[in-house]
Amino acid sequence: MNEKIQHIAATEWEIPTGFVPGMRVPGRFFLSESLAKGLEEGALTQLANVATLPGILCNSLGMPDIHWGYGFPIGGVAAFDEKTGIISPGGVGFDINCGVRMITTPLTLADIPDMKGLIEDLFETVPTGVGSKSPVRLSQNDLSSMLLDGAKNAVELGYGMKSDISRCEENGAMPGADIEFVSKKARQRGVPQCGTLGSGNHFLEVQVIDEIEDAATAKTFGVAEGQICVMIHCGSRGLGHQVCTDHLQVLEEATKKYRITLPDRQLACAPLHSPEGEAYFGAMAASANYAWANRQVITHLVRELFVKKFKIAYEEMPLVYDVAHNVAKWEEHDVACGHNGGQRRRVCVHRKGATRAFGPGRKEIVQEFRDAGQPVIIPGSMGTSSYLLAGTAGAMEKTFGSTCHGAGRVQSRSSAKKQLTGEMVASDLARRGIIVRAPNAATIAEEAPDVYKPSSEVVQVVHDAGISRIVARFRPLGVIKG
Amino acid sequence: MTFEELEHTADVRMKITAPTLAELYAESGFALAATLYGEYSREKAEVSFPIEAEGKDAEETFVNFLSELLFLTEVEYLVPTSFDLVVCNTTVSGNVSGILFDRKKHAGGIGVKGISYSGISFEKNAHGYELIIIFDI
Repeated sequence: MNEKIQHIAATEWEIPTGFVPGMRVPGRFFLSESLAKGLEEGALTQLANVATLPGILCNSLGMPDIHWGYGFPIGGVAAFDEKTGIISPGGVGFDINCGVRMITTPLTLADIPDMKGLIEDLFETVPTGVGSKSPVRLSQNDLSSMLLDGAKNAVELGYGMKSDISRCEENGAMPGADIEFVSKKARQRGVPQCGTLGSGNHFLEVQVIDEIEDAATAKTFGVAEGQICVMIHCGSRGLGHQVCTDHLQVLEEATKKYRITLPDRQLACAPLHSPEGEAYFGAMAASANYAWANRQVITHLVRELFVKKFKIAYEEMPLVYDVAHNVAKWEEHDVACGHNGGQRRRVCVHRKGATRAFGPGRKEIVQEFRDAGQPVIIPGSMGTSSYLLAGTAGAMEKTFGSTCHGAGRVQSRSSAKKQLTGEMVASDLARRGIIVRAPNAATIAEEAPDVYKPSSEVVQVVHDAGISRIVARFRPLGVIKG
Repeated sequence: MTFEELEHTADVRMKITAPTLAELYAESGFALAATLYGEYSREKAEVSFPIEAEGKDAEETFVNFLSELLFLTEVEYLVPTSFDLVVCNTTVSGNVSGILFDRKKHAGGIGVKGISYSGISFEKNAHGYELIIIFDI
């Protein structure tokens, strides 16, 4: 660890102002001592660079899965003042509203004697990987509705239940979506991909709940030990990627126009209420809505298969929750720093590879979960556990209601492929009772569990730091990698 | 092959070399295709598309060119097998030919979300040209 970094609490570290020139606030990140030893210098520099951006409030924040990213580090969180702050695609990422959702089933392990057969059927049902095509035929008008209404639109088209909508962050549709700023190219990429899983770290996983940590909250969230669940991780596909590509160039020019000095070209940005900033926000929100619709369509495909295969009712597979990872959002927070200490203010929170984790009482959380705190889903890495947690008051105080989004990679794809083959990884997982299926063996090698930090260690940091609390642990049984 | 994958924790970082600029653009296209599809044979082309890009500097032109190619792979399901390109200052134009995606032959790679400015470098050296570029996955 760099000698300038200060260890300020058991799981909290500070990057003092001055670490890079122009820092307006300190950097702060959450890691155990052992995980901190593996933190890349590049991620530290990125966290410090974010602290130089105009209008940043309190701290540039790094969650426990922090690693080197594009512009912001992955696991980066920053809130910006409405009047003096900026918006940056580097603080959102190429995959706008990449996110994760979890649905429960009434099944237990005994109900699925042929897990391999189930995973094979899911692989055939959910379009996966490079070149996959949507099961949905969207017209341009349909796409416009989807960009505005997100998961609600998908449900209206027959892909889901009304009760799904309130179980999504933002009710599955961010306000402020403006389709005028979604390019023709982005739309062309979006039409054939709605309802597809994508590739890379995106996945669909069948899991069993093997430990309940907080029985009362688990009951509130509708999960119980021994229950089979399905977790879906994907985002806005080519549509969102194109929106990021399109607006990055506009915002590069805007950075010069508004004379914003940046330490890194990847932090291209514009004032929040500039024409360029508002255009990006409108297109980003539309992409986020497409992502919610995408996950909703996939959910429907999964439910239909389970209904057919296991003779259960569609309604017996409720959505527990759906959280976004890569977004910038308008939120109200008690900003306990600077000149307006403790005042409730409207701020723009960037979460880049981070999860909203609102604590109890927030009106944004569906009424049935409001007293418990927002459900937070942190997936593992094909062979490691995933977790359901609840947002906390601590997250509201320390991280603008945010926590981590996964385990975080520690090894490159090329290095993984040199050491492992897909067959080796799949065999090893099979010995541990986990079935893995992907379009090609290389993907399995690249996504081997060992290339990620141990999810249990990362989640324990989250819990110990008080920025979410563990509710339940899930063991993987079968996984589809895109 | 005149491209090789360098170390990067999360994404794909490619080093591409070629004796001429037009070949460097073509090889950068094949580097992108290798990431998307793994190894595949460059069969006789069945389809062809015009491709052009410009930028205020060479780095931006490469990002824009590869973004155009990425768009063609997703919308037209193009798997490139040859490029016919002309480079003039910071403009590149011409045709990319290829075959259509077939999961049995081409599903050996990983999706690319975007072409990154992160760590991009372009230089002319004694042997020709070299580009280092990251594909965000």
